[in-house]
Amino acid sequence: MNNVKIKSKNLNVYYGEKQALFNVNLDLNEKEVTALIGPSGCGKSTFIRCINRMNDVIDICKVSGNIEIDGVEINDKNLDVVSLRERVGMVFQKPNPFPKSIYDNISYGPKIHGKGETKSELDEIVENSLKKAALWEEVKDRLDEPGTGLSGGQQQRLCIARAISVNPEVILMDEPCSALDPIATAKIEELIDELKKTYTIVIVTHSMAQAVRVSQKTGFFHLGKLIEVGKTEKIFKNPDNKMTQDYITGRFG
Amino acid sequence: MTKEQRLKKRHNAEKRFRFYGLASIFFALLFVLILVHNIFSKGSSAFMKTAINVEVFYDKDLLELEPGASEEEILEADFFDITIESLLKVYPAKNMDEEDALIELFTTDAEIEIKKAFLNNKNLIGKKINLEITASDDIDQLHKGNYPRDLPEDRRRISNFQLEIYDVLVENKTITKNFNNYFFKNGDSRDPEIAGIGGALVGSFYSILICLLLAFPVAVLASIYLEEFAPKNKITDFIEININNLAAVPSIVYGLLALQILLATIQLPRSTPLVAGITLALMTLPRIIIPCRASLKAVPPSIREGALAVGASKFQSVFHHVVPLALPGTLSGTIIGLAQALGETAPLILIGMVAFVVDIPSTPIDPSSSLPVQVYLWSESAERGFVEKTSATIMMLLSFLIVMNFLAVYLRQKFEKRWN
Repeated sequence: MNNVKIKSKNLNVYYGEKQALFNVNLDLNEKEVTALIGPSGCGKSTFIRCINRMNDVIDICKVSGNIEIDGVEINDKNLDVVSLRERVGMVFQKPNPFPKSIYDNISYGPKIHGKGETKSELDEIVENSLKKAALWEEVKDRLDEPGTGLSGGQQQRLCIARAISVNPEVILMDEPCSALDPIATAKIEELIDELKKTYTIVIVTHSMAQAVRVSQKTGFFHLGKLIEVGKTEKIFKNPDNKMTQDYITGRFG
Repeated sequence: MTKEQRLKKRHNAEKRFRFYGLASIFFALLFVLILVHNIFSKGSSAFMKTAINVEVFYDKDLLELEPGASEEEILEADFFDITIESLLKVYPAKNMDEEDALIELFTTDAEIEIKKAFLNNKNLIGKKINLEITASDDIDQLHKGNYPRDLPEDRRRISNFQLEIYDVLVENKTITKNFNNYFFKNGDSRDPEIAGIGGALVGSFYSILICLLLAFPVAVLASIYLEEFAPKNKITDFIEININNLAAVPSIVYGLLALQILLATIQLPRSTPLVAGITLALMTLPRIIIPCRASLKAVPPSIREGALAVGASKFQSVFHHVVPLALPGTLSGTIIGLAQALGETAPLILIGMVAFVVDIPSTPIDPSSSLPVQVYLWSESAERGFVEKTSATIMMLLSFLIVMNFLAVYLRQKFEKRWN
């Protein structure tokens, strides 16, 4: 069992009057893939957006409770979100490359964080990131072409490469394959398997099969509450909770 | 109703709708055509001017100039006598009245034209040269066919004797039509044949330039702040409503505001492009902010999130990603705002640009006219020559507007990035 990397304690999230998360206590282990499952609107995405403070963007969103990364509280007004997001990367549901060249998509992060002072250092970061995202072979001859011109699966791997480029510790993935076809999905899953050796990964997914394939730990959310969490094998074979059982067998959701 | 009947009814409804649509487009185009035809048929002749070929003798004794006279001496010299001498040679006049009538065929600026020709070639002293002297407004209009010559003499501005001279000139082919450079070069004048839009062009240019320099940066910064940084609360809602209301405020109100604040309180010089530019900037500001905010809003939030997620600060995500993507829309919105400002008349009349200004302004704080105000001024004048000049000025104004609008469309299509 790996060390705990991220720890949430009594996490509550409100969108205006509406409460989206209720007292979530969840530990995420280092260099492991944790899958979060549950019906739409159950709060999985809200939860992972707390980890890199993306909820700050939403005016009406209020977060209370604690989230610690390596024992350090991050849900703190005085914390610099820029350095937090340097440590916690994110990949979104829909591939969102910048409408710039493939090279600029990757080099943007390192540039703003002052990594890669020289052109050759940047070139190296771009190459490494693309290699880690298993995209290098496909794009190495057209780095100056727009990132938006790639196929959907390639765009998503470009976004993963972009997240890797700043060398984070954690990568959050919010349904990364929901806009992709099965072949592209298979490639991303293979990639996640490879990436977990280096990074702590949290993935939100609607596909049970995907959760089983990629994760070591699974959490089931329902109506803003964390219903059950445990080893993926256990959750899918022998869940403790009746609702989890119903959800994974497709009886609701 | 059977199925076939219902189907037929549906098809008929569709046909009727198509017919209404086509009819409305037809009417809209018809009115545009009538407008354009009206302006062109009246205005196109203003780009030509009528001139009469006159033999000028630069008589040393009449000019009281020696060969090799300096520029100042020439400028001070009296060209009136040789002008009269030269003009009278065009047709034999029997008495003083006839001489006056003959001289009336030429522009009041004939003396200046003869002087200018001499300044261009100072070796002409004691020599003869043929010059194209601009004809008077009445002859100009007569030659262009805009003047009815079958009216009884007492209701005509051109006498029978003058008509007789004109016919002889036409027969001798000494009367010609040339390109009217005065129309573009000269300032306003009481004499239509030498009046031009030079002053109005420069005045409009300065006004729009000042308007751009003031309105663009303020509007862009205001929209970026409101759209990206400002908290969404009652105050920003209130500001937003007010910006939309300001965009709909009649332009004459801005004129009154400028009159009170810029002219009466701050005491800026009246009738100047500076004041016009500031007034137009006030008026254009909300009209630029609205499209500017719309184009910022059109940038998908996923781009902002993508930037934030790699650790860009709010400022970096806005200025590295959102603003460049919104720039084409912002620029085209600005150009369209400026095009509206270019055609604005009412506020400029209030700040005194309606004054009669002959000189072409050399700085933005010289009194000046502007294109739309020039249209307004000339449309009130009785002389036939000003009718064609009014339409020609409208043509110039419209062509500037069309060029600006095309530029806006071009910028948007060329630089707008697509994303999926």
